[in-house]
Parts: sequence; structure tokens; C-alpha cells
Amino acid sequence: MKRVAITGAGVITSFGDSPAAFHSALCNGEKASYRLEDSEAGVSACRQGGHIGSFQPEIYLKGKPLRALDRTGRIVAAAAKLALENSGWTAEVLGTRDAGLVLGTMFGSVHTISEFDRRGLTQGPSYVSPMDFANTVLNAAAGQTAIWHNLRGINSTIACGATSGLMALGYAADLIRHGGQTALLAGGADEFCFEAFCGFDQAGLLCRCNGHSEFPVPFSAQRSGFALGEGAALLMLEEWNEAEVRGASILGEICGHGSAYDPAGNGECGLDAIMRAMNSALYDSGIRAAEVSCISASANGSVFADRNEALAIRAAFNGSGDAVPVTAIKSMVGEALGASGALQTVALLQSMQTGLLPGIRGLEQPGPEIPALNLCRRKQDINTGFGLINSVGFDGNACSLVISGATPELNREMKSL
Amino acid sequence: MNSVPSIVVTGLGMVTPIGTGREEFWNALIAGKCGFGPVQSFSTSGYSVHLGAEILDFEPKDHVVRLRTRVIGRSSQLAIAAARLALADASLDLETIDRSRAGVCVGTTSGEPHFIERFDDRYVQGDIANAGDGLIRGYPCHVVPSHVAAELEFAGETMMIPTACAAGNYAIAHASDVLRAGRADIMLAGGADCFSRITYTGFARLGAIAPELCQPFDRNRKGMVPGEGAGFLLLERKDQAIARGARIYCEVAGYGLSCDAHHMTAAHPRGEGASRAMVMAMKQSGIAAEDVDYISAHGTGTPTNDRLETIAMKKTFGELAYRIPVSSVKSMLGHTMGAASAIEAAVCALAITHQQIPPTMNLHEQDPECDLDFVPNQARKCNVKVAMNNAYAFGGNNSSLLFTASAA
Repeated sequence: MKRVAITGAGVITSFGDSPAAFHSALCNGEKASYRLEDSEAGVSACRQGGHIGSFQPEIYLKGKPLRALDRTGRIVAAAAKLALENSGWTAEVLGTRDAGLVLGTMFGSVHTISEFDRRGLTQGPSYVSPMDFANTVLNAAAGQTAIWHNLRGINSTIACGATSGLMALGYAADLIRHGGQTALLAGGADEFCFEAFCGFDQAGLLCRCNGHSEFPVPFSAQRSGFALGEGAALLMLEEWNEAEVRGASILGEICGHGSAYDPAGNGECGLDAIMRAMNSALYDSGIRAAEVSCISASANGSVFADRNEALAIRAAFNGSGDAVPVTAIKSMVGEALGASGALQTVALLQSMQTGLLPGIRGLEQPGPEIPALNLCRRKQDINTGFGLINSVGFDGNACSLVISGATPELNREMKSL
Repeated sequence: MNSVPSIVVTGLGMVTPIGTGREEFWNALIAGKCGFGPVQSFSTSGYSVHLGAEILDFEPKDHVVRLRTRVIGRSSQLAIAAARLALADASLDLETIDRSRAGVCVGTTSGEPHFIERFDDRYVQGDIANAGDGLIRGYPCHVVPSHVAAELEFAGETMMIPTACAAGNYAIAHASDVLRAGRADIMLAGGADCFSRITYTGFARLGAIAPELCQPFDRNRKGMVPGEGAGFLLLERKDQAIARGARIYCEVAGYGLSCDAHHMTAAHPRGEGASRAMVMAMKQSGIAAEDVDYISAHGTGTPTNDRLETIAMKKTFGELAYRIPVSSVKSMLGHTMGAASAIEAAVCALAITHQQIPPTMNLHEQDPECDLDFVPNQARKCNVKVAMNNAYAFGGNNSSLLFTASAA
């Protein structure tokens, strides 16, 4: 079977736009600086989350008018530019070889869709803009990004709620392992918008932290919901031999993945489905739980999902769950929906290269129903080896991915062999 | 190394504007029945067009057993109906399967648009405080496969691939990969979209909706007709299908996917991306161009699509293109959006099974720029061992699936 090399990554976060800056902010325990307008928060008690205030698309996307791209399109096209640069895929290379794009997203841009519809309602159907209509399809950001960067390979959009980003990475990895593809950008993105915020708020899923200094703390006894953030992360995945032939620097590997659904969950993902996702990812990778050196949990401060994930980790690791260090970067990033799993992957890849795992910001006392786990309160050294990433959706979906990191030195040694 | 297992289609289920269930649907197709009429689900008084392809006699309670029809959207209802029909068609006893190895993969253009339309109605009426009520449970497009899985108690991978009007093909392609990789034993793959005000408004604004008739490849064609529907294929490994004595419609031989990277809503002028997808599908399937017996076209009936699609077929097949029968069932069904290519995949399976090709209806005066054999107005009996299903989408997404008759 073909192997999947990770040869680069691009991120758009409030912590900066490079994997190294992102990882180092997480290790420093920084909280995302989001901007939430009062008009957006409306009647909600939640004052956490919001837009990445510092995102300026024109820094990344030059030479063509940006008007045709909505916010999601711009975030994705910017992350794609960074990932292409980081992996050495220049415009010249893209002119001669096809690369594809697999984007995970929960909403596409529900803001664009809703605004288009509202204009039709208030001004009449002949006053809507054809250009906006093109962006109402859920694959708009992937299409716009392909046009911007000339990505002519497989272009797919994966929507699985908050597990979308991780599902997209698994989907892309399988296209390389079994489907003959050689180069795919894969990851996820979602923008922050009023429509999504309003929906999550009325579904009772957002945290009730209304002080600006508070932020939801995964696994904590006080958790009451999550903070809705935004972001994008794309990784360049290449067939291992092809990556070596073109002299790419290989940062790590996607070793395997698995997913499961809980049909009885009624909007909640039970521990059985989360455990099945983890076990099938380990099986797919051909490794045992004992070989996992760190876990990036999906936990975001949700009352039930955090508990179910903790119980599932404990069960899947068969008693050794309190040995392997567990982090939860949503303590800093918040819930970035389709971007989350991909952001976790970039952060963990960086951890495996530096040997430094970020802690769970603000965690003092885990809830009494949280089983004994090695929850990292502070950044800590880890053994490089295999890292496990979880994504748990709001509605019964669970997905897990296993990666390993290749240190730059090791990479050089392998090349010289 | 183990050889790659063959994947077969053993069940077909569809809910469409011209008929529900395999038999009713196929009889309607062969008879050339058209499913158009004035739009009923919302007022089109402010629009210059009024034609739609809605399913007027759909009763969710006839199909949805486990979930409450009141809390799930119409796309989910249509999807559950088509999925249950596919399961029944496959004579699959759910008590005999491992549910944790049964998955669902769906394609869509809009998911559950009625929930965001309700949000917008409330918003413009000033009821912002309640606008988001029910949005998260009902709206995000992945709820469609989740609802199908919850209804059938499937616990394997559930995935939504919202690649717009080519989405059904993407879902079937992925589901076949999931089975080949051994991640599941049973996959329900298909597409679903309900009739949507947002989609209708957009296509009306683009001037893409036909006023009276959908006439793909006709010189006087005036556009597409937005529709709704759902279609599912039950896919499984061939050895498993044979072991359980299932009827096999055909094999999923392979697929090709590509992106134009050219324009959001217009196809590439030389059909490059579409052609790359067709070539990739043939290469992956190990099928030569001269072996293709039938092409189910995207064939929306818009002036541009049909012309550029013809160019892409000629670019791929050369002189052979003139000898391959091509038809567009959108001439009867309208454009069922994300469901379209899944329903058309079922058409390919049935064409192979019945050795018969459904017609392109309303084709009276063929466009000289669309000069292939479009099987005008009359179904045709002929030898179909290999069928290609083409679908294209906003975003420049191209897709081709290849189905082949299954040797015993």
C-alpha cells in the first residue's frame, strides 16, 4: 500500500499564520483573540468566540480581484497559498502537475447563503447577485481556491459537522493510499458568522462565559459549552515516493484513520462510537494503543461530549489511558467546526517535531465524571512516535486520525540512504 | 498483496418527479413521462419563470418509520424514502448485517435549505431572537446522511459530500472506495435535494430556467428546470453479494474526478476538465473508449452546458463519440441537483440490466453544435455492457462513473 507523506501546512488562525507560530502560541497558553460584535452576540449570554480580527486576505491573495470570494473562500484560498508555499508547490510546478483539494467544512458559508436569500426576500428575486449565487453552493470555497491556485486534480468538499476537517484528511489519505492520487491539499475551514452563532446559541451549545477574560475549559468541572471560533488549516499530502523523488521535505505521515456514527445518540455521540473511531484508526495504522505517545482531544467545553470522549479514551486505552498525555487545544482556539480537526493535526504534527505538547489552558479541576486521564495542565515534553487526533461531532459523528512525525534530521538521513 | 475486490450494485431506490421506486421510475422513463409543472411550494409571483419539477405526492410517513418526520427536513425525508426503497430492492435483511460496518454517503447541493429559509423569513420579519431555533439540529447538510443512518441504525461511516450538482457521483465513488478498502460491508450511496427557494432564485437570476420545457441538445433549448428528489444505490463487495444470493445490477468499475479551475459557474470552453474525468474513469476501470456503450449525460438543457458537454465528449472519444448513444433524463426529471447524478447512476444500472436506453425527450430540432446520437424522444433497445455517468457542477467539479455488466 502507498504511504501518505505530509510535506507542508498552512493555517489561518488568530495566533498567526504559520504552523510554528500557531504551535508556539498554544504552548505559551495563549487564548485566541477573537472579535465578537455586540450586534452578532445579540440576545446571547455568550461573549466568547468570534472573528479572527487580524485576518487580512490581501496579504496572501494578490494580483486578482478578491471580490468574487466570500470570507470562507478567502480564508481557504489564503491557507492554501501558505500550504503550497510551505511544501514547495510553486505555480510552475502546478502548471505541469495536477494537485487536488479536499476541504472539510460544516457550513460552507451559511452567511453568504442566508444573505442571498434575505436580499431576494426584501428586494425581490431579480435583485440578487449572480456572483453571490455562485458562492451559495457548499463547495464554493473549494472551487474558488482551485481557480485561484490552478488546482486541477480531484476537488472535493466533505461535510460532517465538527468532524469535517479530520474526515477530509482521512478521505484524502485514502485517495493517495488506494486511489492513485499523488498530491492533495486537505484539511478544513469554517468562518465565524452571525447565522451559525445564533443557531448554536439557541441550541444551548455555547458556553455561558460572559466575562471577556473567561474562556471555556475542556474537561473542567465548570464547563457549560464551547466558544465558536473560526480558522482554516490545509496540509499538503503526497504519495511518499513521489514526495521523495521531487525532493520534498517530509514533515510526517498520515498512518491511518477511522470513523463511526452513533445512530442511537439523538444528537449526542456516545462513547461507543468515539471508541470505535479510535480503535479503527489504530487498526488502520497497524499500531497498538500502547504505541501512541500523545492525544489531541476534541474536547471543547461541552458538557456531554467532553465526558463521552474522556470515557472513550480511557476505555480504548484499556487502563493505560492515564499514561498517555492528552491535550485539548480548543481551550485556546475554541470550536472552529470544519477547521478544528485540521488545526489539531497541524498543531500535533508540530508537537511531534518539537517534542513539546501544549497544555489545556485554564484546567485546574476536571469534572467529577471525567475518568482518570493524563490531562496536560501545562506544556510538556513528549516522546515522538505516533499521535492520535480525535474529532467528536454534535450529532453522532466521531473520527480519529493517527499521524507520526518525521524530524528534519531523520528525513535527511533517510534521503542519504 | 490481496487483489482489489469488485464492488457491485444490488439495490436501487429513488424518489423523483416522475415516479417513486425502481419499477415505476423505469416505466416512466421508458414512456418518456415529464415531471414539470408550475411551482407549488412557494409563490413565484415575483419571478419571470414559474416552472419546476416537484414531487407532489410524497408522503413522508409512508417511508420514515423510526425518526419523527416533523423534526427532520424534506431532503432527509426524501433520502430516507430512497434509502429504504434501495434496501428493500436489495432484499437485504437488516437483522443479518453488522450495523457497525454499514455506512451512508450522500451528495447534495443545498442540504436542508428550508431551515435557513425559515431563519431568513424570521429574520426579515424582525424575529431575530428566535431565528436560530432548530437551525443546528435541522440545517447543516451532514444531517441528511446522519438521519438516514439513524433511521436504519447504521453505525459505520456517515459522510456528506456537498459537491453541488455532481455530488451523487462523488458519493458513489467514495462509497465504492470505502468498500474496496474494507472499511465497511454495506454502503448506501446516493444524493438528495429538496426543492429550494434559494436555488430557484439563483438559477432564475442567471436566466438559466426554461419557461416551458426542458429540451437538452435541442436548437431551441432555453434552460434547465430545477427539481427535487433522492436516489440511493446499495453497494457491496461482489463476493458478499454472490454469497447471499443477491441480484446484481452491475459493477462500479471506476471513476474519474477533476476540477476545471477555470470558472465558478461556467464549464471550461474546450471541455478539458470534463475530458480528464472521463479519461481517468476509463483508465481506473481498465476500459477502452470503444467499449463504452452508453453515456448518461449531465444534459441540463442550458445553451452553454449542452454545447460544452458535446465538445468534451468529442474531445474524449474522437470519432467514436458519434457512435455512442447519449441521453439526458433531465429532459423528463428536471434537474434534481445533488440527487441528479445518483438517480442517473441508477439509470445506468437499469440500462445495463434491461439492455435499453431511456430517451432524451423534447428533442425536436437537434442543435447542429450538439451533433451526437442523443436518442431523441424514444427509448431504444440495444446492447449496454458499459455505461458512463457524467455530471458537472458549480466550482468546476467534473465527475464520471463507469458501470459494467457483472460477469457471473
